[in-house]
Amino acid sequence: MALVLKFLNGTYIFRKCPKPNVASCPFLGTHFVDYCSSSLQKPVAAPGKTSSQRNSEGDLQGHHQREAALDITSPEEKPLVSFDKAIKDEIKDQFRRLKDDIVNHWIGPEGRPLHEVLLEQAKVVWQFRGKEDLDKWMVTSDKTIGGRSEVFLKMGRNNQSALLYGTLSSEAPKDGESGRSGYCAMISRIPRGPFERKRAYDWSQFNTLYLRVRGDGRPWMVNIREDTDIVQRKNQMYSYFMFTRGGPYWQEVKIPFSKFFYSNQGRIRDAQYQLLLDKISSIGFTLADKVDGPFFLEIDFIGVFTDPAHTEEFAYENSPELNPRLFK
Amino acid sequence: MKPPILIIIMATIMTGTMIVMLSSHWLLIWIGFEMNMLAIIPILMKKYNPRAMEASTKYFLTQATASMLLMMGVTINLLYSGQWVVSKISNPIASIMMTTALTMKLGLSPFHFWVPEVTQGITLMSGMILLTWQKIAPMSILYQISPSINTNLLMLMALTSVLVGGWGGLNQTQLRKIMAYSSIAHMGWMAAIITYNPTMMVLNLTLYILMTLSTFMLFMLNSSTTTLSLSHMWNKFPLITSMILILMLSLGGLPPLSGFIPKWMIIQELTKNNMIIIPTLMAITALLNLYFYLRLTYSTALTMFPSTNNMKMKWQFEYTKKATLLPPLIITSTMLLPLTPMLSVLD
Repeated sequence: MALVLKFLNGTYIFRKCPKPNVASCPFLGTHFVDYCSSSLQKPVAAPGKTSSQRNSEGDLQGHHQREAALDITSPEEKPLVSFDKAIKDEIKDQFRRLKDDIVNHWIGPEGRPLHEVLLEQAKVVWQFRGKEDLDKWMVTSDKTIGGRSEVFLKMGRNNQSALLYGTLSSEAPKDGESGRSGYCAMISRIPRGPFERKRAYDWSQFNTLYLRVRGDGRPWMVNIREDTDIVQRKNQMYSYFMFTRGGPYWQEVKIPFSKFFYSNQGRIRDAQYQLLLDKISSIGFTLADKVDGPFFLEIDFIGVFTDPAHTEEFAYENSPELNPRLFK
Repeated sequence: MKPPILIIIMATIMTGTMIVMLSSHWLLIWIGFEMNMLAIIPILMKKYNPRAMEASTKYFLTQATASMLLMMGVTINLLYSGQWVVSKISNPIASIMMTTALTMKLGLSPFHFWVPEVTQGITLMSGMILLTWQKIAPMSILYQISPSINTNLLMLMALTSVLVGGWGGLNQTQLRKIMAYSSIAHMGWMAAIITYNPTMMVLNLTLYILMTLSTFMLFMLNSSTTTLSLSHMWNKFPLITSMILILMLSLGGLPPLSGFIPKWMIIQELTKNNMIIIPTLMAITALLNLYFYLRLTYSTALTMFPSTNNMKMKWQFEYTKKATLLPPLIITSTMLLPLTPMLSVLD
């Protein structure tokens, strides 16, 4: 099914239109036409005005419009649509990935020699240096449930960081069932191998998450999901807080993995379990602080490292009164 | 888990396996398998976390499917032979179904996908029971029905298991997954010889259980679950580190250690049955296994990995964990090769 979606992606757009976010990412490829056509119909901001508006927060929207304007293709550069070529490219890509997988499997874990992997004490997992780095992430907001929050992700200045920005709105959707709303999130895509096979990160030799970010003073939640094959575990995740300072200086956030607490279906559970680091599927940043208005978060890189001073394995205790079955 | 409950569960596991091994009635064998499977689920979930629950679920689904297939094979055999007694299976469909079911329980290729996932999700103790005790019951049934097994099917499964076990374990850093792939490869060797000389299979199973028990007990002594934690063992237990060296080489089948005996005997039996290519392929593929055992040994025992503590030698402190039966297990896992001439009594 994932392969079919990739083919539809490849055939229709052929990498000329911007990738849609999760909020407007339906199942069928034909809907991508609507997205492209709607972006084509948005008013284009005059280039002279954007430089004067750059410093105010309101031009984040205008910046997005300028961004959309820049992505509109001129009449001479029509997107190349070729079904056969896209299928051939996709098949070649999958077999190339399979070949790389086999060769990397021979060399060692993650394609590097074992001694290199064992001696490693710090690793940059995600960094933002180009558009292809943004493709590894997806953004979502309460627009999927009918809310009014907006979130966008783009490259920062000089292509040295990623800028996650938008507007949070805690106005609940008027659908008769939602009482609360107001969240925006940026989630990493699950790493895929050949033929869209799910992969996982192995961070078992590291003990701390390291983030270099620059925020606007808002509190964020860092969520980590484990790789799983059963559907009941899809809603389980491990979270911790990330408080941003809001200043002009970069902030280095170090969160030990022992501090992450377990939650299921959005609720923190009485029974707490340790985050196991050998099968990490994705990481995400969520903003849901119930404060309406614009926000931004600039991320330089996300890495993991071993802090030898941190020996704690798990920060939380389980109580026999709350969870007697854990103590049987 | 409270001691009385643990005793009852362990007794049920053992009773289930004993029922399977001692029965000659197919229904009772199936009952034994079910008892064994249901009793081991709480053992797998002993450390109550979401990963252990997922591992238990996967184990339950696989084993239940295999039991259903086995029951189907038994029913077809009953239809054609009219009896429940374990004897020669005349119907080929029943034979293939039973073989498939038993190989699924053992984790032979192409039904091996659950073994690394389940082993990785459970504790070292539960993994040890899963990879040793749980192999006895299906192997005993394969032993009993060995004259009726489709040789080509089992040989194909054996060859692919040895390949998968060698290739899959190559770049693993998690010790439990390494042992899981080692189990798959060893099961492949056992499956290859079972139709020609079932006694060799029993010898291989015995030595494999001894070596795996010793290895797991050494891992439990250090509470190591990753290659990195094992590589820091030189700083804490230098004697145990050297034992790991010998055990890994024995698991890899290097002479003059015990692990060489089954490989030697199996290759000899297969060549006696006019098979040259298959034992050659198996011997070559066993080099993959040896490669990752050696890599583990290199990082653990042959090099002094940089450790994070400030002490040069932490071994000055006594270790408090008890290693019951570890010395005799290590001796039997490594020093039995000179007793090989005694195997002539098995002929």
